[in-house]
Amino acid sequence: MLSICPYFHVHQPFRIKKYRVFDIGNDNEYFNDNSETDLNNRRIIEKVANKSYRPTNKILQDLLDQHPDFRFALSFSGTVLDQFEAYTPDVLESFQRLVSSGRVEILADTYHHSLAFFYSVPEFEKQVKKHQKRIEQLFGQTPKVFRNTELSYRNDLAKWCEDNGYLGIMAEGWEKYLGWRSPNFLYHPPSCSKIKVLLKNYKLSDDVAFRFGNQAWESWPLSAETYASWIHSHHGDAETINLFMDYETFGEHQWEDTGIFNFLRALPDLLTSRNDTTFKTPSETIKSYSSVGEIDVPDILTWADTDRDLTAWTGNDIQRDAIKIIYELEPKVIQTRNKDLIETWRKLQTSDHFYYMCTKWSADGDVHAYFSPYQSPYDAYIAFMNAVSDLQLRVSHSLEVQKKRTAERALKKARVTEKLPEKLPEIFPEIVPEVPVLALETFSQKPISWIMRGINRLRSLIVWGSENKFISSFYAKKNIDDKKVSRQKRAKKSSKKS
Amino acid sequence: MRVLTFGWDFPPSRNGGLGVACFGLTRELSREGVEVIFVLPKRQEVIGGHRFVFAENAKNVSVREVGSFLQPYNAAKSEVHYIESYDPVGKPIFKSRTIIAEAHRFAHLASLIAQEENFDIIHAHDWTSFLAGVAAKAVSGKPLILHVHATSFDQAAGANVDPGIFKIECESFAEADKIVTVSQFTKNILVSRHGVDAEKVEVIHNGCDPNEPPKHEFALAAHKSQGKKIVLYHGRITIQKGVDYFIKAARRVVDTDPNVVFVISGWGDMSTQIINQVGESGLSANVIFAGALWEEERDRMYQSADLLVMPSVSEPFGLVPLEALQHGTASLITYQSGVGEVLSHVLKVDFWDVDEMANKILSALRYPVLRRQIVIEGKHELHKMTWKEAAKKVCALYRNLLQYITT
Repeated sequence: MLSICPYFHVHQPFRIKKYRVFDIGNDNEYFNDNSETDLNNRRIIEKVANKSYRPTNKILQDLLDQHPDFRFALSFSGTVLDQFEAYTPDVLESFQRLVSSGRVEILADTYHHSLAFFYSVPEFEKQVKKHQKRIEQLFGQTPKVFRNTELSYRNDLAKWCEDNGYLGIMAEGWEKYLGWRSPNFLYHPPSCSKIKVLLKNYKLSDDVAFRFGNQAWESWPLSAETYASWIHSHHGDAETINLFMDYETFGEHQWEDTGIFNFLRALPDLLTSRNDTTFKTPSETIKSYSSVGEIDVPDILTWADTDRDLTAWTGNDIQRDAIKIIYELEPKVIQTRNKDLIETWRKLQTSDHFYYMCTKWSADGDVHAYFSPYQSPYDAYIAFMNAVSDLQLRVSHSLEVQKKRTAERALKKARVTEKLPEKLPEIFPEIVPEVPVLALETFSQKPISWIMRGINRLRSLIVWGSENKFISSFYAKKNIDDKKVSRQKRAKKSSKKS
Repeated sequence: MRVLTFGWDFPPSRNGGLGVACFGLTRELSREGVEVIFVLPKRQEVIGGHRFVFAENAKNVSVREVGSFLQPYNAAKSEVHYIESYDPVGKPIFKSRTIIAEAHRFAHLASLIAQEENFDIIHAHDWTSFLAGVAAKAVSGKPLILHVHATSFDQAAGANVDPGIFKIECESFAEADKIVTVSQFTKNILVSRHGVDAEKVEVIHNGCDPNEPPKHEFALAAHKSQGKKIVLYHGRITIQKGVDYFIKAARRVVDTDPNVVFVISGWGDMSTQIINQVGESGLSANVIFAGALWEEERDRMYQSADLLVMPSVSEPFGLVPLEALQHGTASLITYQSGVGEVLSHVLKVDFWDVDEMANKILSALRYPVLRRQIVIEGKHELHKMTWKEAAKKVCALYRNLLQYITT
């Protein structure tokens, strides 16, 4: 019995526009490019929807309808779901229809497609929780199997997943850790008892994901028949063939003219032509087989490049600088409790931003250039750092406002608790008649001064008859008010000192 | 293999990048075992152990005190003045000729030299010696390679191309057996503007010396100690180099960060205009005109600068960013520069996009990690583009051409 476990990863980042130094402090929108370039997120989503999401979903829907045994898994980043919702709601609906078949499993992931686990576990946990909520809300499914950004994996991540109730986790089936062993079985991480590791068969996966349209490849053009025979040849020495790849392989990384759609359409039929070959979702795979051994991955393992490590994201100084700055901001951003700021900060954690800054122009350089919307890694770094500089300003501004508010609140509290003495001392005002100081009068001012003098004379007459209660009480009240104000000022000062 | 090479600039004369390029290439060619006879229009001090022929000294050429007055980088119509002879009283008699007339005179002398010398191939650098190359080919029948370091379109920044130079270029290209350009950028100009067959044009990028230069004390130490950032321009001040765009960007930079000092090292026919522009934009406090810096002074400035900007409107290659990189300084260049084809660790901008130029200058100054990264990785890249590599390609071209001729 051989089962095939296909899994497609759907993701699009929020790309940062050409954010300039002059925009720092003046422009809070980092992701709203509306040019004709590849920095325009809406344009990209619409383009990829036409090239990949719409046609591929149609094929997958047909396959689900025609083959009662056809199953696969999907994972979505929260950032792509947000963009589907905003720009192409029909694509989201078509995914929902696929999932409603009951034969499509959705995997757990970080909401912002970040590498947070390796930099801040609390932040990572928040993103996973947010992702789970979003998946439950959109698809009515609670993910049971975990896959981390870029299939990054390490022993402690597996441990975390086990502690948080996940049945399985996905990783690259890389020889460095497998040794002579085959990726086509289940393994378990060290010091874990329940969780199982599904390993990607990178050879068979990358035959489709990377090499399918490569005319220099010896197996080009790859027919579905040949590919099915490659898989069938594993009968007897394998339990599960894990084919993990980017969803965008279909139509976007491999264009339609390579024949990728026909390949996908034909494959399930050919694979299930042998009765002992079936499709299984990751959860079903985990339930069907038991672990054949331990896989120990003490260092970070990913599915990228020939190094299979994080060097595509953190390989050079600018990448490390950018990633350091974004995670250093964590305590302050969280402290603001400002949803908009926190969300923006998380969007900046998306691993793609760091990928664009990669300067490995060796064998993998071509792949990087293809996936980057920027003209150079340095342009990517500049846009990112300028946006982060603006975010830093906004965060410190928000904290200042917060501080001011709490101070005000404390002051109000202090005012309420401070009791006024029950008896106010009686104050008898000294009444000083006003003596107008007059400059030398010109001739035309004379009549006015006469009138003023008359008025003053009258007023002094009234005051003189100070039995007049209205005036004396007015002066007394004013004096009390003045004293109150000065007392409040003192209270403020003392509260500041404390 | 013996090569008759025509050029008009050679170190230690201080004119521009052409001399540096001719020197680097000739040095490595002779290390490759090629015998180079370098013909220069007039006697000058030269470095290196090659055989030099100065047109004025050639036998059978009646030249008086001075031969040709070819000055690099001048417009075709600009006139050179020289002392033709002295009148009986001892007063000098001045005469003047245009550059084009000079180029023709050089060609005449070249044909005489070509008759005397024994060689296999002719290699002529830049338009002023193209006619000399063509003349030498006419008398000797040897294959001719024209090495294009700049075209009339670059020198005029795209507009008002000098018809005289353009005519010389077109006629010489037609005579050449092979044309070498210093970048794909220049090749494209030749193909689209001069109508040259793309097959005939070979791109051989310039190189550099990747060895670590000696460290000098900082120039402008007082500014640096005050925490001012130094942005350097090094090159001739002509329309081709886009210094006016640089000053516009400088205005934008200073508006945001008044702590930036712009140093302009170089001189040229636009100097007055640029000085006026600096005054008009109120930048006198932030712009320093250093004159044309060479050798140690130049190196010190490279090392002191935080960023080098090459704002060229049309730059066939541009050696300056490579030199800056050798001295550990990152560069901002324009997309209209040939060096960008081989140097990827560099910031790039369109010459007309003043805002973006200012943004990148400010960003580079704000984020020191960016500059460090560019320098570290750029230095690795420098090792791949040495004069040796360029000379090897030229050598292969020679062999290819000779084989073609003999069979």
